[in-house]
Amino acid sequence: MEQKIKELRKRAGDAIKNSASNLKELDEVRVKFLGKKGELTGLLRGMSQLSAEERPKIGKIVNEARAEIEQLIAEKNSQLKAAELQKKLASEKIDVTLPGRKVHDGHLHPLTLTLNRVKEIFMSMGYSVEEGPEVETDYYNFEALNLPKDHPARDMQDSFYITEEILLRTQTSPVQARTMERHKNSEPIRIIAPGRVYRRDDYDASHSPMFTQVEGLVIDKGISFADLKGTLEDFSKKIFGEKTKIRLRPSFFPFTEPSAEVDVSCVMCHGEGCKVCQGTGWLEILGAGMVHPDVLKMSGYDPEKVSGFAFGMGIERIAMLSYGLDDMRLLYDNDVRFLKQF
Amino acid sequence: MQVSTKWLKDYIDIDLTADELAEKFTLAGIPVENVIHAGEGLEKVVTGRIEELKAHPDSDHLQICQMNVGEENLLQIVTGASNVAEGQVVPVALVGANLPCGKKISKGKMRGVASNGMLCSANELNLEIENLPEEQKVGIYILPEDTPVGVPAAKVLGLDDDILEFELTANRGDCFSVIGLVRELAVLTKKNPRFPEIEVDEDDEREAKDLVKIGISAPDLCGRFSARVLSNVKLAPSPEWMVKRLEGAGMRAINNVVDVTNFVMLEMGQPLHAYDFDEVKGHELTARRAVEYELLHTLDDTNRLAKGGELVIADAEKAAGLAGIMGGFETEITEKTSTVILEAASFNSASIRRTSRAVGIHSEASGRFERGTNEKGTIAALNRVAQLLQDMGACNVCKGVVDVYPDPKPEIKIKFTPAQINARLGTNFSDAEIVEVLELLGFEVETVGGIDELTDDVVDKISAFAKTIGNSVRNLSKKSSVEDMMKNLGSTVGGLVKNTDLKISSAYEVTVPDWRNDVKLPEDLSEEVARIFGFDTIPSTLPKGNQQGRQSATQNFIDKIKNILSGLGMCEELSFAFTSEAMFNKMRVPADSPLRQAVPIMNPLTDEAPLLRTTLLASIFENAARNFSRKNEDVRLFEVAPVFIPKNLPVTELPHEKQKLAGLLMGRREPKGWSQNSAQVDFYDAKGIVEEFLSGLSIGNYFVEAGEHFALHPGKTAVFKKGRDILVTVGEVHPAVAEALGIKKKIYVFEADVETLKKFAAKKFTLESLPKYPSISRDLAILVNHDVAAGDVEKVIAKSGGQFFKGVTLFDVYTGERISVDKKSLAFAIEFRSKERTLKDEEADEAFKNILAAVEKEFGAALRS
Repeated sequence: MEQKIKELRKRAGDAIKNSASNLKELDEVRVKFLGKKGELTGLLRGMSQLSAEERPKIGKIVNEARAEIEQLIAEKNSQLKAAELQKKLASEKIDVTLPGRKVHDGHLHPLTLTLNRVKEIFMSMGYSVEEGPEVETDYYNFEALNLPKDHPARDMQDSFYITEEILLRTQTSPVQARTMERHKNSEPIRIIAPGRVYRRDDYDASHSPMFTQVEGLVIDKGISFADLKGTLEDFSKKIFGEKTKIRLRPSFFPFTEPSAEVDVSCVMCHGEGCKVCQGTGWLEILGAGMVHPDVLKMSGYDPEKVSGFAFGMGIERIAMLSYGLDDMRLLYDNDVRFLKQF
Repeated sequence: MQVSTKWLKDYIDIDLTADELAEKFTLAGIPVENVIHAGEGLEKVVTGRIEELKAHPDSDHLQICQMNVGEENLLQIVTGASNVAEGQVVPVALVGANLPCGKKISKGKMRGVASNGMLCSANELNLEIENLPEEQKVGIYILPEDTPVGVPAAKVLGLDDDILEFELTANRGDCFSVIGLVRELAVLTKKNPRFPEIEVDEDDEREAKDLVKIGISAPDLCGRFSARVLSNVKLAPSPEWMVKRLEGAGMRAINNVVDVTNFVMLEMGQPLHAYDFDEVKGHELTARRAVEYELLHTLDDTNRLAKGGELVIADAEKAAGLAGIMGGFETEITEKTSTVILEAASFNSASIRRTSRAVGIHSEASGRFERGTNEKGTIAALNRVAQLLQDMGACNVCKGVVDVYPDPKPEIKIKFTPAQINARLGTNFSDAEIVEVLELLGFEVETVGGIDELTDDVVDKISAFAKTIGNSVRNLSKKSSVEDMMKNLGSTVGGLVKNTDLKISSAYEVTVPDWRNDVKLPEDLSEEVARIFGFDTIPSTLPKGNQQGRQSATQNFIDKIKNILSGLGMCEELSFAFTSEAMFNKMRVPADSPLRQAVPIMNPLTDEAPLLRTTLLASIFENAARNFSRKNEDVRLFEVAPVFIPKNLPVTELPHEKQKLAGLLMGRREPKGWSQNSAQVDFYDAKGIVEEFLSGLSIGNYFVEAGEHFALHPGKTAVFKKGRDILVTVGEVHPAVAEALGIKKKIYVFEADVETLKKFAAKKFTLESLPKYPSISRDLAILVNHDVAAGDVEKVIAKSGGQFFKGVTLFDVYTGERISVDKKSLAFAIEFRSKERTLKDEEADEAFKNILAAVEKEFGAALRS
């Protein structure tokens, strides 16, 4: 009996090792030896003929044999499964260099992106965002800003007129006057006013009949020109980088006194002189100044009690410098090949 | 205004280059737009004498020169020119020179002999000299023998006169003159200017006032009219020095009389005009308004018709010129002129500006009057002209000046305190520094004492402030002087003024010099102080206090719209607000549509854009067409921008500005790729974007129905509605519109009003909790007639679904051979669920039965087997 079991164990071992080359064959081997009608089961059936002394001994051997065969089958089983998985994976190989499946990518306009940055910077400095109408009265666009009719400075801004008294605003400054009128009793103001403005300029690489301006206005007790300078310095560093320097040149605007044109150190060459700054190392980006006392008075503020500063900048210019554009028309052309780059 | 640096240096000793001058002026608020370097290219060209001349050993036309260029050693240069001789002084280009003709000079050898430079011809230096022998033009330019050696050739050739081109601001009329500019320069360099002394020898016994009559009948337009009479006038060319100055300023020399009036205008800023005395009828000149259709014969021999109201200078018979803009033809100075009436007047800037624009003449004179001239300076200008002409021996001067000055301009006086100026600038300039700057600028400064009295209240405020800066104020009483107080506080008076409402410091009163018509207020004085010290000396601080910056709800909402749509694969466009009738026609806007009632622009840039848009579709169509014409056929655009709806036409008040949203899709449904098919977008793609968009805005519970829009396909237009409000209109663009736009593709657009969207966007976020109990789903497949709208069926399902109805999803639409031609099959998945418990199958079946009955009744639907 013992001999038989030993022989069976060997045959089973060989069968598992050699003849089972896939899971199906392995299962056939299992049935052949361990199944209900299998050989080992057959041997067990012959146990009844054994003596009471031999039975436990042989029983133990049979169980050991069963455990061993099961173990071998399990090992073979996992080997075969691994091999089959390997084979499956190998057959599933794809060309990973094929391009990914594209989706439609949406984009905000570069001017919106730039304006958002400007708004974020000023909101973080405590400025609220105000807006006003694009079609304005002559009063708010000019007169309330100390630009009476026939003022030579009106020549600086050729306007689109709707009537003698109504025009497309040439600047977002009318929002200043409207905001001051809304605030009563010389309340402090700290606002920016972004928006579209219109000037009767020819449409070329650096001019557009419609463009985007951001105007800033701060009114409070004790506001000084030094505060204006510090504010613009802070803003310039935030938008163009920490190393940016600014330079203020005295200028003239009827609505501010003193007035300044503001240059930043060239964003391309950092002041060395290049094509973008025409060798000067500076780029003009802003007009600014202390609010003229007449402007304060006209909108109900007392220049004896409060003072303020105002500044205005073109978002197109900042966008063009930030993104290295050399033609303003790209911004209003709305060519999707351009828009998709931002 | 342009002026040569030499002219400036006639009146002030300065050792600055043109570029340095330009920077100084610019940083003081007198912008120099451009510097023209007259001697450009001649930087390394000096004068040199030929000390020795030898023939080249290996050449029959080259000669070897030993040049004395003012250095210790002679410089050897080989030349090919034949017109050279020992002892001649010639221009020598040194190594490194970059000549105007384009030649670059470097060390070299000519046939083995070292040559360290080049002798120059007139052509090589770009010299244009009349009557110069040809050999000096192409050969070597020979300078006079006594020319010093080793000096810059530009200087010897008179080419060292650089030109500054100013772009003056509108307020600085006083800088529209050489003297005005020198005044500024004197302050900036703290040097004393040397202005010409004006003396007139009245050598004609006759009194001017007996010879001419001057009148002003429009005193609001002509503030002053001064005149002199010059006799025995001899017309001749002007001397060379004057011609050079005029040319440097961009004016052409004509004859001595005209040139001198121009010269004085440039020098002093006062325009002048010379009339031929004998041609002035009645020998009288009056400043008056032109009458309507009055004929004006101006000196350019043009007849002009007056609109009426322009200021003219008229003789006894007719207008003899447009005041301040252009003189008259008949009274012009000619060869025959022997006596001249010289006018120096002051005209109203606004009137000159209007007339000058109306007639389209912008002269040197009108430009000055527009910015405002110095009313007090007329007589000095007349005298200067008389003096210069007399010096040239060109005239005699009659006695006296005829001066009509009905309402002399009062002196302007301004009170200020240095503290006030320092507070505005954020600076700490001392009283003395501020006073010095103002005095240098020509202001007369007087001390007038402190402004605020030291009342107890004021003393309290000062003491409180002193504590905040860690200072104690002792012995301060009503009797203290401002000086005592300053001593007590140290140098923080500026801070005191900034932090309290007090104005405490020494006070001054200035008298504004008569040439500065732009300075009227203490704020103007602060600008003077700041620009002379330089804006770079002003510190950088930030406004005190911190407020919270925010955007309005509408601004936030618009930002959200843009973010959602760009997230849905759409590109944001930005377009001009203009449109045209032609665009309305292309869009099929009906003739009676209110959208045709657009705001017209009086002076549009082009005829193609004379209106303000009333619909944003006009803009998005234009952009789609432009993209299509550039072969960008896959386009997904959106824009949020205002349209302009007039309240009345013709416009009398500001139009309504309404923020609108427009979106457009055309081209492929999926981007081009190896595994994507080339199916094109259809109505349901556009509708899907709109649905996702509304969901992003948390707008729900809307309904969708077939709609109408003039620019859209009548069978492929839907409106998203909430009650009567239209949220969004979406549809396929009408083929006729697409054709008119030149787009050979199907286009889908949607349009919405931002305020309406905002009205329905959920203000608060509400979270729907996850279901606790499972739901039961039943599929309903029915056959209905073709014209039954799926949306209507869904509505009936929802209505008849009972209390456990949770939702319905249309998952299949079928038309085709398996069913009859006039039918379609719709398949819905209907979901039932209870909040309280697990639903029983029977309950779902019951609800399903009710639904089926309802759709059968409503649509004649048959259950599809």
